[in-house]
Amino acid sequence: MNFIKKCPFFLLLIGTGLIFTIIGIAGRMSIYAEQEYHPLTTPVLAVMFTGINDGIYPWQVFAGESAQTMAQGNGAEETPKSELEREQETVPEEDGTADALDAPQPETDVSANALAKEETDTSEEETEESEENEGQPEGEDAPFEKIEPARASTQEEIQNHISADLYGDAGVLRAAEYEFSAVDESYFDDALFIGDSRTVGLRDYTDLSEHADFYCETSLTIYKVLEEDFGGQGTVEEALENNAYGKIFLMVGINELGRGTTEEYMAEYTKVVERLHELEPEAKIFVQGVMRVSGEKNSSDAIFNNSNINARNNAIATLADNKQIFYIDVNEAVCDEEGNLIKDYTFDQIHLLGAYYDLWKQFLLVHGVTDDAAG
Amino acid sequence: MVSFSSFEFLFRFLPIFLILYFAMPKKYRETLLLLGSLVFYAFGEPVFILVLIVTTIVNYSIGMQSWKVGEGFSLHEWQKNKRKKYMMQAVALDVAVLVIFKFLAVFVDHTLLPLGISFYIFKMISFQMDICRGEVWSKPSFQHAAIYFTMFPQVTSGPIMRYHEGEFERERTWSLEQFEDGLKYFVAGLGMKVLLADRLAILWNDLQMIGFQSISTPLAWLGAFGYSLRLYFDFWGYSLMAAGLGVMLGFDFIENFHHPYASKSIAEFYRRWHMTLGSWFRDYVYIPLGGSRCGKKKLVFNLALVWLLTGFWHGNGINYVIWGAVLGILIILEKMFYGKKLGKIPVLGNLYVLAVIPLTWVVFAITDLRQLGIYFGRLFPFIGGAGLAVNPQDIIKYIQNYSVYFIVGILLCIPAVPGYIEKHKKNPIIILLFVVLFWTSVYFLASSAGNPFMYLNF
Repeated sequence: MNFIKKCPFFLLLIGTGLIFTIIGIAGRMSIYAEQEYHPLTTPVLAVMFTGINDGIYPWQVFAGESAQTMAQGNGAEETPKSELEREQETVPEEDGTADALDAPQPETDVSANALAKEETDTSEEETEESEENEGQPEGEDAPFEKIEPARASTQEEIQNHISADLYGDAGVLRAAEYEFSAVDESYFDDALFIGDSRTVGLRDYTDLSEHADFYCETSLTIYKVLEEDFGGQGTVEEALENNAYGKIFLMVGINELGRGTTEEYMAEYTKVVERLHELEPEAKIFVQGVMRVSGEKNSSDAIFNNSNINARNNAIATLADNKQIFYIDVNEAVCDEEGNLIKDYTFDQIHLLGAYYDLWKQFLLVHGVTDDAAG
Repeated sequence: MVSFSSFEFLFRFLPIFLILYFAMPKKYRETLLLLGSLVFYAFGEPVFILVLIVTTIVNYSIGMQSWKVGEGFSLHEWQKNKRKKYMMQAVALDVAVLVIFKFLAVFVDHTLLPLGISFYIFKMISFQMDICRGEVWSKPSFQHAAIYFTMFPQVTSGPIMRYHEGEFERERTWSLEQFEDGLKYFVAGLGMKVLLADRLAILWNDLQMIGFQSISTPLAWLGAFGYSLRLYFDFWGYSLMAAGLGVMLGFDFIENFHHPYASKSIAEFYRRWHMTLGSWFRDYVYIPLGGSRCGKKKLVFNLALVWLLTGFWHGNGINYVIWGAVLGILIILEKMFYGKKLGKIPVLGNLYVLAVIPLTWVVFAITDLRQLGIYFGRLFPFIGGAGLAVNPQDIIKYIQNYSVYFIVGILLCIPAVPGYIEKHKKNPIIILLFVVLFWTSVYFLASSAGNPFMYLNF
């Protein structure tokens, strides 16, 4: 009793710490299995907090017993339907949890990643469908030939978060065959820009936002593009329903570099582009290559480096059919001969300084697609 | 691990150390504190710990020779002179070590500056001068002197405690209530560091990312205030953590900040900001030079010297010297002309401090003089011009994102607010608040520890 009177705060800290530790240990077997944990430097209770950060809440531990058995069976690419359904039944509160169970590699953002995997399965069907659709209208030209990846990511690449260059420059070269034309600013009057903090910079530090709409948010990833609410602006789908856009510009990919493989990124990107096309069939979609980082960052960072960026850009470049979908790469305007972001243009080695976003705008002004030039 | 707000410290070093410390019979606790402090320091500086050990041994042996000269209460003139000679030797040596490493850091490589050297060398100088002045009352044992120089709550960034404040000659009293109090100070400091300072740091980082030439004038001012708050809560938070650790181990609370932003003059601000450094300069530089009890010319010289040294002490760039010089000039002007008048008119003094201090922090923050010029150009556009690609609406976004940190930060700058919390620290609601504060801090630490960047999101 005396003890409680004299140091209630200390006892409360110890008490809550013990509870969180128990949750952490229990959750390690199930819901927190994917959270990174280094016993030497971090307490086991930290997984509870990183879990919360990923949208996995501690009370799900108690629903986790049945989930635990399922987690062991999974890991393969294809999840049997029945199991997916069962997962949803057991854990109805949060989408992310059920998905987290079958993510095979340790990832930072489990829920999003697992989500992507689930989507991969379904998007295959969609791909076939839309390919058929696409072939028809521009019937006179040679049909769009899909560039297939030369290989799959190796286990080593997956483990080390190396984005495998599966496509080479085939897509980039084909996209470059298109002759873009110079346009004036009114060209952007029916444009929609979607992107992460780099696009936020383009919005805030050029006058493009006087013409175009911007749906951009710091830390956006391709996995969140379609769900994101953009700080109350609404979703991209809503934007496309309410407005008739003629051009959609997309630049996402740096935040998810440490997450998933080139295949997963590509699958999700394909899905997003197809969905955009479906919602706004007339709009030209500009797949923008992800802007690279500076040489300093490139040589010091295992994940956020230019070979990873280039590998993923090579993948998404193959989406360009030069009719409805185009690939443009702003790196031509902001990088040095070695392909690194010019160091004078950046402070943090990742973002352009405010004054240099104009280079991006000028680049866009000479990479226009006008209807008379198309085809 | 040497950062108090790291998982390694909070959940590995500290609990293990505390368990061992309190499980140990009292007579071994001092030894454990010394060993623990060396282990702590070795994690941060596995090589340069030698500098700490050698300077500790040298300072102790010179100090003891000085001590032996006169153990009685009244000293003869020759004894005083002899002590003075030993003191001068030791201080010259300490200053040389500090200067050499500072030079190496500036001209060779900044990693060559041993962790906390500015703080522990200042403690050593204080130790020598206190012995010489007879302010060390009983003969220090080697263990006690070594603990004083190396103790882990203070070795990296102070506070610069005085030897007699450690009360090493007495057995430290220890109680559960005191431990509890210390823990609360520690958690309050942790919260300030993680939830305020580290969040506001992102604002400053954003301004650098945009480039100073492209920020609007309102944003430049917001940035200056934000940086001021960030620095305050970073250092006050750290000092509270350090003092709290001391209290947990049975030391007295060492106050390092006393509501500086409630000051009415710059001179007063620096009597309340990093107080252990200010009083160090006062006692060991300013007063020996004659202080204010001499002619006006000498007074100006003394103040100028103290503030130039303060500038040099804080960092290696020329901007720190400018920063110290500007403060020195302002304090001299206050002392000679308007200081007294400021104190008489209510609010005016406060406004003066709140406008001038953030500007001086901008000088402190920006090491590149050209960039510093650009920043001041944005603060005062009638001098600096229009800037480049400025977005005049940028302030709205940043007010939205950071207003909560500014509001909490400003509240904590008002002396009554922390005073109220301190007074009601045994109130169950305040205690629960502290529990929430701790775990919220842990949450922020956990969610930023998993990724390799301090601020992952692009």
